[in-house]
Amino acid sequence: MGRLVLRRLGATVPVLLLVTAGVFLLLHLTPGDPIDVMMAESVDATVKENLRRELGLDRPLYLQYAAWMGRLLQGDLGRSIRNGEPVIENVSRRLRPSLELAVYAMTISLVVAFPVGIVSAIRRNTAIDRAGATFALVGICVPNFLLALLLIFMFGVTLRWLPISGYTDPLEEPWNGLRSLALPAITLGLALAAVVTRTLRSSLLEALAEDYVRTARAKGLSEWRVIWSHVLKNALIPVVTVLGLQLGTLIGGAVITEYVFALPGVGRLVVDAVFARDYPLVQGVVLLIAIGFILSNLVVDVLYGWIDPRIRSR
Amino acid sequence: MATTEPRATLDVSRRDFLLLCAAASGAPGASLAPRSALAADAPKRGGTLRVGFYIEAATMDPHLSGSKIDRQVYHNIYEPLVTLDVKLGIKPGLAESWQQPDPKTVVFKLRRGVKFHDGTDFNAEAARFNFNRMKTEPKSVRKGEVASIDSVDVVDAYTIKMNLKRPDAALLATLTDRAGMMVSPKVAQERGPELERNAKGAGTGPFEFVEWVKDDHLLIKRNESYWNKQGGPYLDRVRYRPIPDDTVKRQSLQTGEIDVMDYVQPRDVAAVKADRNVVVVDVPSLADFAYQLNHTRPPFATKALRQAVAYSLDLEQIVKGVWLNVGVPANGPIPPTSWAYDRSIAPIKRDLARAKAKLAEGGQPQGFAFTMTTNNIPINVQEAEVIQAQLRDAGITMKIKLVDSATLISDGNSKNFEMISYQWSGRPDPDGNTYQFYKTTQGTSLNWSGISNREIDALLDRSREVASQTERKKLFSELTKILQDELPMVFIVHPIEPKAFSPKVQGYEPIPDGMMRFKDVWLV
Amino acid sequence: MAGSIPGSDLAEGAAGLARPAAAPARAQRWKGLRRAARARLAPLGAAVVMLAVLIALAAPLVAPYDPLAQNLGNTLASPGRQHLLGTDNVGRDVLSRVIWGTRVSLLAGLVSVALAMLAGSLLGLVAGHCGGRVDGLVMRVMDAVLSFPPLVLALALGAVLGAGLTGVLLALGVVYTPTFARLMRGQVLSIAARDYVDAARALGASGWRVAARHVVPNAINPIIVQASLSVAFAILAEASLSFLGLGIQPPQASWGSMINAGRGYLQQAPWIVFGPGAALFATVVGLNFVGDAVRDALDPRTRD
Repeated sequence: MGRLVLRRLGATVPVLLLVTAGVFLLLHLTPGDPIDVMMAESVDATVKENLRRELGLDRPLYLQYAAWMGRLLQGDLGRSIRNGEPVIENVSRRLRPSLELAVYAMTISLVVAFPVGIVSAIRRNTAIDRAGATFALVGICVPNFLLALLLIFMFGVTLRWLPISGYTDPLEEPWNGLRSLALPAITLGLALAAVVTRTLRSSLLEALAEDYVRTARAKGLSEWRVIWSHVLKNALIPVVTVLGLQLGTLIGGAVITEYVFALPGVGRLVVDAVFARDYPLVQGVVLLIAIGFILSNLVVDVLYGWIDPRIRSR
Repeated sequence: MATTEPRATLDVSRRDFLLLCAAASGAPGASLAPRSALAADAPKRGGTLRVGFYIEAATMDPHLSGSKIDRQVYHNIYEPLVTLDVKLGIKPGLAESWQQPDPKTVVFKLRRGVKFHDGTDFNAEAARFNFNRMKTEPKSVRKGEVASIDSVDVVDAYTIKMNLKRPDAALLATLTDRAGMMVSPKVAQERGPELERNAKGAGTGPFEFVEWVKDDHLLIKRNESYWNKQGGPYLDRVRYRPIPDDTVKRQSLQTGEIDVMDYVQPRDVAAVKADRNVVVVDVPSLADFAYQLNHTRPPFATKALRQAVAYSLDLEQIVKGVWLNVGVPANGPIPPTSWAYDRSIAPIKRDLARAKAKLAEGGQPQGFAFTMTTNNIPINVQEAEVIQAQLRDAGITMKIKLVDSATLISDGNSKNFEMISYQWSGRPDPDGNTYQFYKTTQGTSLNWSGISNREIDALLDRSREVASQTERKKLFSELTKILQDELPMVFIVHPIEPKAFSPKVQGYEPIPDGMMRFKDVWLV
Repeated sequence: MAGSIPGSDLAEGAAGLARPAAAPARAQRWKGLRRAARARLAPLGAAVVMLAVLIALAAPLVAPYDPLAQNLGNTLASPGRQHLLGTDNVGRDVLSRVIWGTRVSLLAGLVSVALAMLAGSLLGLVAGHCGGRVDGLVMRVMDAVLSFPPLVLALALGAVLGAGLTGVLLALGVVYTPTFARLMRGQVLSIAARDYVDAARALGASGWRVAARHVVPNAINPIIVQASLSVAFAILAEASLSFLGLGIQPPQASWGSMINAGRGYLQQAPWIVFGPGAALFATVVGLNFVGDAVRDALDPRTRD
């Protein structure tokens, strides 16, 4: 297992190189520059030129990239052009709300998906199964921002059960924090629940078709019992895969949810940084998101080995 | 975001708007403030005011700021030398009085006993430090605004003398905002770069900076040793929060999660006015929303084609249909709130026959095609679609290119456009809405259209030299008429910026620069 | 965001799970498809999708009004006999715009997925077939694309290519490519190890000939399944990108851009969102039904 992890970590280096070079190139091809944005009201062209020179923005692209890489190797992600804050501080502050939201959303999705998925698999092709399938589709097929606005209207404005915008840290004020993140977590959690439900149902069905399950049934065990003691563990692998892949995405990708609910997360940070053309900030955040994504994949693989020892040998 | 600042709002009928303007520009003191029956009660100390903004502030350093939203915060923690009253008149701020012994000299008597929040004294040395900083700091966005100041002399501990390079009639009005705001020299010297994110101790205003967690909240608290003992500050604290989605921001106010919102979208005005839990104040703005036409390349290098576009537009319809009358059709760059606004000049009227004649004159009798570049904001898109339909009636085909703010600014600066949206938040002196846009300039400037006209240049220079307001008003009227003919821009609307409050909020005085000053605000 | 582009990642998760078809042969596939047609929800889904395609093709004939004709005197009119789905904020007929929007939305889904399918399959084939360094290089690039935040990619491509549908199509195409590449590579590796492929090689068939004759036809099943599901996600993703202002340029409309333009009016005029929202929902659900049925049919292990 240790060797596997090491080999996989080694393979991430070229991937990260590609990602950073890709962001760099794309960003600099994008029209607009950070100085123009920052000094939109300033008439003085020489001031802007001086600033560009000071920040090295007038140098050839490959030199700028090399300089950035050089600092990175010394552990320095640079500073935001817009307000001079170190990128690493900026991102680490944003990571907490994003992680909390992701975990919250996953919890909601599991709470919903497990009963629905299991019942759908046992009562396959019945009305219950089809109701479950429909529910799953609703979760996937409604655009996220629309779902968010509908939830706000229903639970925030009409029923007034939950706050509709802003962030309170659940680790500091558990009750208020959980309330403040409830609607965004439901928004993300429903779509996720839909995927988990489908995945779980189909992997359960697959596992139920295996020989050992037939044996267990032949021994006269109830269907529930069969599922609980023989099938569920094997059926978990794909679910873990889906969740693992989603964790990476949720942390850097919940842009629209963070935007609508005014949460200070990583997703909003990266999009705002792109709009401000804050190059070091975008590069830093994208690099960290990519690392997070790769790590969560790695964790998934390790979990595989733990759930199903047969995979370890591969 | 910086130039494309305000997006206007409230549903006000035309008549209401004119009344408002009258209130703002003529009627004595009365302001629009006390709105509820409780207003007669004595102000009460205490409480936290929760304010919702549409975007996040950019920096806490007033000398480096290029964003309107920053100013909303500054006007509570920093103070300028002079300030505006509800009629846009100039009144004392950190300067108690001023004199102009000759057109190129201004002497300010500074207020005594004012301390920065870090405990250091505000005095003549501090003022001189600030102006030098604005003129020399590499990232200063104020350079253009203080360009007419040659040097600042310390006459005595509380008197400064400004030596000007040339007469500048707009200078005092400019000093009512960021260019006049005083930052603690100690903070600027010791924590210069950090000041952008942390303004602790930096100002003299009624509130002190506490903390700023980006994209989450910005907190300020009452300055217990504020120099002005009349009135407030009453509030314990003010908590600003950026809520980027307009609908969510409005709903947050309606459900009581915030007490104030900076701006109500026109489409929401009716709903908000009907809500008993919300009080709406229509604040006329200084803004000027227009489209710059590129004079340096076809098709709009041809004057007749610029005019063809202008005569094809129906401003009444745009203001009614898109802005829902939360604003008035523009006759030029100067808003109705300004003393320089000339009511006798009508906005350009739609006249398709004339537009067709101009098309023929410009050598395009069958019409022509061009691209409009505009910001990707719902109301801009809607306005662009309406303009597109109006131009189609005259045989002109307009394509719409939607871009983000960074691209818009870059396209404008590099003159990479044919027609481009320009939404200027406005300045109290008409100079701030005109000079930098129409004066002949080399290289990049806000004169994106590239207009270069000797008559206009002469008028603009003259308007800075003349001291008399009556004289200046005549010059700006003349300028407006020429602009309507030369068309560096097609002018669309002067928006109103409605702000909405919880009924608990008392004592807000709407000054037409749109800034929310909370010194005398209290909570019931 | 997680919902839309995340669609791509959801799809990615599903792709990782798709198992190679156990048996080769075209006959098997057709048998599978017949089975799919028998599944209960599939005909319904297929009908909805067919209807959407027909509406898209016949838009000029079926739209009651010019989708661009404005009437500022009749904005936000509620649904009624004149305008079945009401009018929008500049007085355009919502139904007509939904009908014309069908073209754009379907096109967005189909073109972006077709791009991804072509590019991804080709890359996967090359990687799986050549192995070694080529394989390593291609798959590292695919990993890089996967770990790139999709929204940043879309934002940047949109800005580079100029706003418009092209940028969005390309961005979605790039985002979905690794899914197909991984899938195809996996298929190639597993099929190449089978006896009949060895036999073909032994008979002297060249490597690429084997690939073309034996590997590709057998690998195509999961690709088709993945594609049918991806189209649904791509349509959703286009809608979410329009939330950030990317995509179709006004005055033309896609369902996503209509929902986005209407979201500020959710309380006053919900029909602006309801029309395109319902169309989007029905189509995406229909595509999912079809995709699921095809998958069940082609993968013998999930058959009952």
